[in-house]
Amino acid sequence: MALTWLILLPLIGAIVIALIPRSRRELLFPLSIAVTIPPLAVASWIAFTFEVGDPFFQFTVDHTFFEQLGIGWRLGVDGISLWMIVLTAVLFPLAIAASASITEQRKQYMVAMLILETGLLGVFVALDLLLFFAFFEIVLVPMYLLIGIWGSENRRYASFKFLLFTAFGSIFLLGGIIALAVLTGDAIGAITSFDLREVLDVRLSSTAQLWLFAAFGIAFAVKVPIVPLHTWLADAHTEAPTAGSVILAGVLLKMGGYGFLRFNMTLFPEATVDLAKGMALLGVVGIVYGAVVAIVQPDVKRLVAYSSISHMGFVILGLFSLTSQGLSGGVFVMISHGLVTGALFLLVGMLYDRRHTRLIGDYGGVATLMPIYAGFFLYMAFASIGLPGLSGFVGEFLVLVGSYLTVPVLAVIAASGVVLAAIYLLWAYERIFTGPITNPANEGLHDLGFREIAIIVPLIVLVLVIGIYPKPVLDRIQPSVDLILERIEATTTYEVPEYGSTPGGGA
Amino acid sequence: MESAEFLPIAPEVILLAGALIVILLLAIFDRPYREGGIVAFTALTAALIAAVFQWRALGDGADNLYFSARDVPVARLPMVVMDEYSVFAGYVIFTIAILGLAAAWRLVQTLGSRRAEFLALVLLGVAGVHMMTASANTIMMFIGLETASLAFYVLAGFTRERLDADEAAVKYFLLGSLAAAIFIYGGALLFAATGSTAFYGAGGIREFLSANIVTEPAILLVGMGLLIVGLSFKVSAAPFHQWAPDVYQGAPSGVVGLLAAGVKIAGFAALGRILIGALSSQIDDWAPVLAIIAGVSVVIGTLLAAVQDDVKRILAYSGVAHAGYILMAFVAGRDGIGAMWFYVATYALTLVGAFAVTAVVSGSRNGRSPLRDWAGLSSRSPWLAWAMLIILLGMGGIPFTMGFVAKVGVFTAATEAGYTWLMFLALFTTVVGLYVYFRVAAVMFMGQPEDDDAVVIPTASGVVIGLVAFSTILLGLLPWPLLELAGEALPL
Repeated sequence: MALTWLILLPLIGAIVIALIPRSRRELLFPLSIAVTIPPLAVASWIAFTFEVGDPFFQFTVDHTFFEQLGIGWRLGVDGISLWMIVLTAVLFPLAIAASASITEQRKQYMVAMLILETGLLGVFVALDLLLFFAFFEIVLVPMYLLIGIWGSENRRYASFKFLLFTAFGSIFLLGGIIALAVLTGDAIGAITSFDLREVLDVRLSSTAQLWLFAAFGIAFAVKVPIVPLHTWLADAHTEAPTAGSVILAGVLLKMGGYGFLRFNMTLFPEATVDLAKGMALLGVVGIVYGAVVAIVQPDVKRLVAYSSISHMGFVILGLFSLTSQGLSGGVFVMISHGLVTGALFLLVGMLYDRRHTRLIGDYGGVATLMPIYAGFFLYMAFASIGLPGLSGFVGEFLVLVGSYLTVPVLAVIAASGVVLAAIYLLWAYERIFTGPITNPANEGLHDLGFREIAIIVPLIVLVLVIGIYPKPVLDRIQPSVDLILERIEATTTYEVPEYGSTPGGGA
Repeated sequence: MESAEFLPIAPEVILLAGALIVILLLAIFDRPYREGGIVAFTALTAALIAAVFQWRALGDGADNLYFSARDVPVARLPMVVMDEYSVFAGYVIFTIAILGLAAAWRLVQTLGSRRAEFLALVLLGVAGVHMMTASANTIMMFIGLETASLAFYVLAGFTRERLDADEAAVKYFLLGSLAAAIFIYGGALLFAATGSTAFYGAGGIREFLSANIVTEPAILLVGMGLLIVGLSFKVSAAPFHQWAPDVYQGAPSGVVGLLAAGVKIAGFAALGRILIGALSSQIDDWAPVLAIIAGVSVVIGTLLAAVQDDVKRILAYSGVAHAGYILMAFVAGRDGIGAMWFYVATYALTLVGAFAVTAVVSGSRNGRSPLRDWAGLSSRSPWLAWAMLIILLGMGGIPFTMGFVAKVGVFTAATEAGYTWLMFLALFTTVVGLYVYFRVAAVMFMGQPEDDDAVVIPTASGVVIGLVAFSTILLGLLPWPLLELAGEALPL
């Protein structure tokens, strides 16, 4: 029941917000923040009562809607989705609190945000393929409206590009889901079944696995995004309002990585093993490409957007290294990236609210005017680069360790991503914050207010805590990712290498 | 007539009686038009209730076939069939007619002395539509088709003072008559091949085909093909769709929803009756044909909808695409009927809602509804814009709307039947379809309004639009009872 409530609470919040009369407009903003607290509370309660060491789904809800077609309200969390829902529930209150600058059609904005939260939470806990797809796709609508209505100058173009790109990806997903449900139905003697646990028990032929891997994979690759399916990302992130960018980078991209883990690697193990090297290569291409393109961006929001491509490349590399460290690291990078990039977008948004420009060249010497802001930015830049002690380090280190076992050459190339990250972030920091104030328009800048500090501090704390003591997070992730690897070992000839057992396998 | 034989045709009798009373009241006794409206709505409601009684009678084991020609010694050829299929069709048609007439009420109020004809024609048209679905004989089906079509031709041109309404009516009449001629010629060839015009019963087409080897397979094939073409005209499947955009655009907005939904229901129900009822043994011949028509329709309909600048034309071309999606269910034969019905029912509802919004935005007597009328609707009337957004999302097949359930249903049916290519083709067009619908949404939410006048929503239209938007979400979240019912609505 906890999970049903987790999904319903933001929706109930959206209804409450929609019913606020025009005369009580001043309630809108505080109430919108308030209604994101119950989901956060439920998510935290789930995280605290989650049984460590159990790799299977917990808090399951299983209610069949329609026997004939095998559709049901089936929910559950394991060590992977647990952190995704916590991440979602943490980022939404902050993103909404950071939306004070939205003044036009504020009510519709808040409703769209809360529907978005419903969809995202649903994606991470759905254990029914059709239900998963429903949540996966519904996310498009509020995001489209957020970019299209409240975005910056080029919003209509960006919103349509976002919509069409991701919808194009998800049709393959829907096609794959229907095909898989029909195959499952044939195997269990029903018309169709969308129950993930029933689908898991079906032995699929290698050809079927390859086709289905491709169908599911394209949808998730667009979301991650994997180069060359990334072109929507920079436009969408740049044009979206601050909260939209935070959720896009912080949570939406994770739908892709999560999808690869939950569906592609779990359901199609043979295809996963066959394609792992190619996927890992794409991950590395993303790492290097994203970082190199980020270096030359004149627009700080675009820079952060491209850095997302680079970081998500680490996720893909980690997952398809097919090692326990790699998978855990991939999931950890997703969590860390959600917090860090979310914070960076929040920070960029705060500067944008003051100066209405995102061009790095328009700034310079901001640190003298906004010391707290500069400190926060530098901290998050270090976290993003992967400074030991902060969250970015743990995940990327694990990914590199894990991938060195199976794809050593790629691991070596991927390590350059860390160096490149230092270049683009620190260079951007230098140009924005250090030196004398060159642009007179910046002289009126004032430092962060209490509300803005209160938004960033929770993220700073979380980044530090899981950076120094990642054990509670990893303890919950590892059994679940090991289960995926066990399943791959059981159905294919692949054996997960361990340090000490084989010398760093062939690339 | 035995009393047991009244029930199968009770809806038609009620509607015809209603039509006569309306004419008497309004045209001869010159009563206020409100009374005519009361009679019309009462007749439609009574027809719906009669359908409920039919379902109960079927549950109690009532006969399926009626009005057989008793004096033919070898064959008892029924004229009317009462089965779950026809009754479900009745549920859909009468519900849609009630909503469609309510949405047209603003138009009726402006018609002056001609509203008697309008109301009577609506009732006659609805009776014809239902007769098509309950016919057990090509001849009966043709009579139903003509009754419905003639009424609808007149309704399409009802605002005579507008030239494009006349044009619409004439175009509709000419092409519709051609389709009817093709249809009846197909029926004649079917008769030539099988020796019967009846679908069921001893000596009927189905019996004949399952027991005999057809000596003239070519005639059977051509007959079948012509029937499919004739009905494809009616449902505006490509490449037989050219009339639809002009008629939708020319006819008064107030009544287009009813017209469009009515012919689609009639056409698909008739197609299912003939192909899956009578010609089920020939599925290997007709299923590929339908698959191709479906494929062409989804592609052409979606692509042409994407380049229109008039919402009514967008809806017309998207209707071509939707016809294609619905045809996908047919290739699965009897297994696809549930999916077909769910799609037809929900799409008909969507059409009525969408055209009701069009009538509010661009005027119920007007034909055209250019996109600029819709610019900035969200600031002029947020509720209307959000309702239309929900309806558009339903058309686009976004999850948690009934359109999503309907699409998954037909896609699954086609995949089950082995038409995976068709499913993927349809999935591709769905994305382009999203562009089509979100384009309208973008105009509503992101466009600059030409004037800031608040939109006046007539009460009846508001209720219809609200109901359609509400059921779009409700049937998206809880489609199960309707799915179950649709799954039971199999033809004999």
